[in-house]
This record gives sequence, structure tokens and C-alpha cells, in this order.
Amino acid sequence: MSTIGDQTTGPGAGPRATADIELRHLSRTFGDIRAVDDVSFTVSAGTLTGFVGGNGAGKTTTMRMVMGVLSPTGGEVLWDGRPITQLDRRTFGYMPEERGLYPKQAVLDQLVYLGRLRGLGATAARASVTSHLERLGLADRAKDHVEKLSLGNQQRVQIVAALMGRPRALVLDEPFSGLDPAAVDSMADLLREHTSRGVPVLFSSHQLDLVERLCERLVVLARGHVVASGTPEDLRSHSVARHRLVLSGDAGWVRDVAGIHAVDVDGPTALLEVVEHGAERRLLEEALRRGEVHEFSPQRPSLAQIYREVTA
Amino acid sequence: MTTVTRPPVDDTVSDALSLDEGVGRPWAIVALREIVVRLTNRAFIVSTLITLVFIAGFGAFSVWQGSRTTTYTVAVAGAEGRQLVERAATSAHRADDKVTVEATVVSGAPAARALVDGGTADAWLHQTGSGWTLTSADDADLALRTAVETALRDTALERNAAAAGTTVQALELGTTLTTTRFDGQIGNSGLVKGATFAFALLFFMAAMMFGQQIAASVVEEKQSRLVEILATAIPLRQLLAGKILGNSVIALGQVVLFAAVGLVAVSFTDASTLLPTLSTAVVWFVLFFAVGFFALACLYAVAGALASRTEDLQSTTAPMTMIIMAVYVASFGLSGRALEVASFVPIASVVSMPGRLLAGDAAWWEPVLALLIMAAFSAVTVVVGERIYRRSLLQNRGRVSWKQALTARD
Repeated sequence: MSTIGDQTTGPGAGPRATADIELRHLSRTFGDIRAVDDVSFTVSAGTLTGFVGGNGAGKTTTMRMVMGVLSPTGGEVLWDGRPITQLDRRTFGYMPEERGLYPKQAVLDQLVYLGRLRGLGATAARASVTSHLERLGLADRAKDHVEKLSLGNQQRVQIVAALMGRPRALVLDEPFSGLDPAAVDSMADLLREHTSRGVPVLFSSHQLDLVERLCERLVVLARGHVVASGTPEDLRSHSVARHRLVLSGDAGWVRDVAGIHAVDVDGPTALLEVVEHGAERRLLEEALRRGEVHEFSPQRPSLAQIYREVTA
Repeated sequence: MTTVTRPPVDDTVSDALSLDEGVGRPWAIVALREIVVRLTNRAFIVSTLITLVFIAGFGAFSVWQGSRTTTYTVAVAGAEGRQLVERAATSAHRADDKVTVEATVVSGAPAARALVDGGTADAWLHQTGSGWTLTSADDADLALRTAVETALRDTALERNAAAAGTTVQALELGTTLTTTRFDGQIGNSGLVKGATFAFALLFFMAAMMFGQQIAASVVEEKQSRLVEILATAIPLRQLLAGKILGNSVIALGQVVLFAAVGLVAVSFTDASTLLPTLSTAVVWFVLFFAVGFFALACLYAVAGALASRTEDLQSTTAPMTMIIMAVYVASFGLSGRALEVASFVPIASVVSMPGRLLAGDAAWWEPVLALLIMAAFSAVTVVVGERIYRRSLLQNRGRVSWKQALTARD
């Protein structure tokens, strides 16, 4: 099928790129503003790492420093255990925060151009672009000028620009914004294929449900600092356990139970945090004494909830 | 439920982006894209064709103008009038061999008027009092008037000379004025002026058009943040080199095309005898243009990098626009010592040195020296420009001033 060297049978096969991207005490100031302050974390090989944080938290600045588009005022980025070079980054797939392509050039032509700049041969670039366009349902638009595509489709073209070839690492700034559910699924599949190849993937997102669904690891940034990082389970275990209580009568009395913090009470329903171990027993005994208990269930904290806690 | 078989991603690429391919010459890939994009741009093709048609049209017009003959028919009543017209024909032919004057005999005023009104005759020459009158439907053409006037004057002079017992030659003795030039050249200053103007116009058009295009293509990449992708793929120096090279090739190609068509057009005109001199000057012009455009292209790329949006280009390209305007204006405003100085000043020399060569007042080493000076200037510009370009290109917070860019650190 191809004339190029060793063949591999799929994205999961072939040599594994098993290096980590390591950020060490990375800082960047703009004038008096410390946009990124002493940020350290590792994007491990083969791991999908979600990068979350509010607007202005410093995600984009961090990613731009990883890609060498912006130079850090302090700290360093390591690749494979040594300081990263421009040549290393050349093999990375990067999707900047703001999207843009040559509006008046055909989709296929400019993707092949970008691929060639990253060192792909013309044939290899064309093959990679074509297969990606097919995957993202854009094969029939290959000859169209980018400006003729809808924003969502332009976004898909941008994805191809970042993922084509076989990048050794992926740094993607808000790759899911503006995508419809079908494209989100294709994109998620593609990212998983890359991680299964051993590629470290760092992506930022505002869509916490998506991050929760996809990510093996999570880094939460607030005001330039890493406020939490780890697997979603790690983050949950640090979170205070919550319970939902539904009674037959009014639940207002739970506010007075020692060791229990009532987060919210609405008629017979209450959302509670068990502050003191064993307090739930006292609570239930009191509830049964007063009437019936319809429900008493532990609440798995959503990522959004954890996010609010750690960034508060 | 059906199983969807997807084509696997990149089963054609053996390993992660192979680094041994094309690493050494990304500038060539960039240059090639710039050339292809320009050559497939409809506006570029159309404007080039229009200019070519304009130049060829000028040649064709000159040829037509040169081969056109004009015949004036003058209505006269008597033999004396007829003789005058014959004499006028001789003098008109001497002034311009494409002009002839004929006489047609009429019976009187009404017949003459009928002929003139009908367009058969151009004028009616008739005697009034002691002199003659030339009556036409509108103001008579200058060539006809001059011819008839000369004939009348010569006839009168002959008659009056005979009456005074002398000859016309004796009367006209010492009235001839001959013009010469100190440099011994035969007067072709019209051609020098015309060609210098053509050089200035070519330079002006090409520099402005391609310069603006380079700036626009740089800011397009900057504004769309495409530059971030490009910057992570290749060194920015290579991106700049490719841009300058690609656009210079196109600009030079266009200038050579225009100059060649222009020379062919000139070969059809009366000025064709000066073609060798003109060709030499054109070759020098193309050489100077090639070297000078390199510096301008780099400056325009920097101007593009300083802007953050297309709207900023007007202010960031202002210094270059002023330089180009100054060169354009200086090309017809300067003379003597000032022109000599200008012919060594980089950028200005693109127009003024070929002009001096054409006028024949530059020694052989002068264009060589001027070209070397410009090459040095271009080299310095590219080195300095590359630094500013790199520093400003990734700044996405508003417009960067020339001063900020020059003093900023890496």
C-alpha cells in the first residue's frame, strides 16, 4: 500500500514513543503579572492528561511555554529526562488556543504543507492527511478552501494539522471547543489511539464532564498555580464525602446534629457532609426516631464539584 | 449493530515524523508555497496580464503612430493658390514625411464651403486684400497651417528679394541656429527621461505590490496564530528566508517579463536604434532591483511581524512606503551632483544608477560599486530584520512599534 519503509498495521502497533513531558518550576511573568507561577507536573507517556482551570488561570501560557512559542522566565521543560529542544518539539503535534489556517488555500494542500514542514515526505504527508480527513468525515472537502468550511469543520482541519504524521507528543489547547458530539467522539478515539501508542497527551478544556470521561490524569490550575493534580480518583479521595438524605418529614433538624454539616436542606431532602467520623450513625438514629428514611446515599463528587473546591 | 471498520491512522508512516527528510531545507518548502500561492492568485494573474497588455499596447500605438500618413486637401481658386499649395506640400513633407498636402480647384466661395463642409477638403485658401486666408470648418491643424505659412513666407521672400535685387539665401544668411551638447552626445534626453521614468514606475509598482503582499502574508500567519504551529515545526529564520526568497523570485520574474516586453515594444519604435544602450541599462536595473528588493522584502516581512492585525499594516509599513515614494520622486527630481550621490545610496540606486548609465555619464566601476554598497546594505538589513521578525512574530498582544522591536531582548 505504501512505498515508505517499515509498515505498521495500525496506530497501536509500531515502535512506542515512551517519553514523558516534565514541567519543572515553570514560571512566566508579563510585566508585574505572574501568569504562571512555579508550575510542576508530568505528562506521562501513554497518558491522557486533562488540564483544567478558569479563564486566565495560565493554561495557555503554560502550553505555549511547553511548545517553545513563549520562553519561560523561570523553570524548565524536560523531554525524555533532558531539556527539551526545538528539534524535539518539531515531532510534537500542537494545537494553539486560537485557531487559524490559510483561508484561501485548499484543505489538503495546506495540511500537506504543514506536514512537510514537520519533516514528512510529500507522499507520507498526503497519505496521513487523507486518512485523517476520512476519519473526521472531511474527505469530500479536501479540495475546498478553508474559508468555505463551517467553523466546526475548520476545527476538524486544525485537529488533522496537530495529529497527522505520528507525533511523539500532543499538546492541545481546547481541542474540543466548537466540536459537535460526533466530532468529539472521533477526536476522543483518535486521542486514545495515540496514547495507546505511548504518546503523552496534554489537553486543556473547560468541559469538565468530558475531561472526567477521557482523562487518566488531571491537573487543575488556578491563578498560575497547580492547585490539584492526580487521577480523578485521587482527587475524589481528598474531597469530603457527601450524603443525600430523604425523609418523610421536614429535614430542617439535621442542621443541629453534631459532626454533620448541612450543605443544603430543601423540605424533606438534605445534602450533608460528614465532618466527624461516626456522626452518620447518630444522624440515622435520630432520623428513624422521627419517622421514615426514604434514602440515605453517599454522593460521588462530580469533577465540577472537586474543581470548585480546589479552586475556591 | 454493524461493525465499522475505520482506516487506521497513519499506517503509511513507519515511525514518528522522520527527521531526516527535508529538515535541512524547510525554507525551500516555504518558498515553493509562496510561489505557488502567488501564481495561482487570480488578482495577481489579472494585474500582470493587464500591465503586459498596457506595455504591448504602447508599442503597438507607437508603430501605428509612426506608420500613419496624413493628407490635407486644400481648395483653391486660381493658379497662384495652387502654386502655394504645391510649395506647402514640399515644406510639409520635409518636416514630416508622413504628411502630404494636395490642392483641389474650386470655382468660388460657395463651392469651397460645400467641399469643406462635406469633408472632401480640409480648408479653403483664398486671397484677401494683400494677403491670404485659410478658412476651415474648425481651427486648421498646426501642421497644415505651418506648411502654408512657410510656403507663403518663402514665396513672399523670393518676390521681395527679387524686387530688392538680392536673393533669399543672402537675406537668410546668419539666421541658422545649431544646437550641440558639451558631452558630444546626440540629444536623446527624451529617451533617458522616458526610460528612467519607466524604471521608477516598474520599481514603484513591484516594490509596493510585492512588499505589501509579503507583509500581508506574514500578518495573516500571525493573526491566525498559524505562526505558532509553524514556529514549532521549523525555525522562524527558515520561514523568513522562504518568504523572502519565494516573493523575490516572483517579483523579479515579473519585472524581467515587463522589461523584456517593454524592450520588444521599443524595438518597433523610432527609438530602436538606441536598443543596445537601453538593454544594458535594463540589465543593470534588473540586477539592482534583485539585490534591492531583498532588503525591501525583509523590511516588509518585519513590518508584517510588527502588526498584530491586517489593519495595523498601514502604520507598520509606513516607513517603507516613504522610502519607496522618495525613490520614485527623486528619480525625476534629482540632477547633477544630487543624482550622482543618489545613484550610490541603497534603494535609490535601483532607479538612479541605470538612469545615469543610460545618459552615458557613469564610469564602468560606478554601477559595480553601487551594487556592492546595496548588497552590503541588504545583508545588514536581512540580519537585523531577521532578529526583529523573530522577536515580534510571537508577540500577540497588540502592535509592536519599530522602536520596541529594535530594543527588545530575545
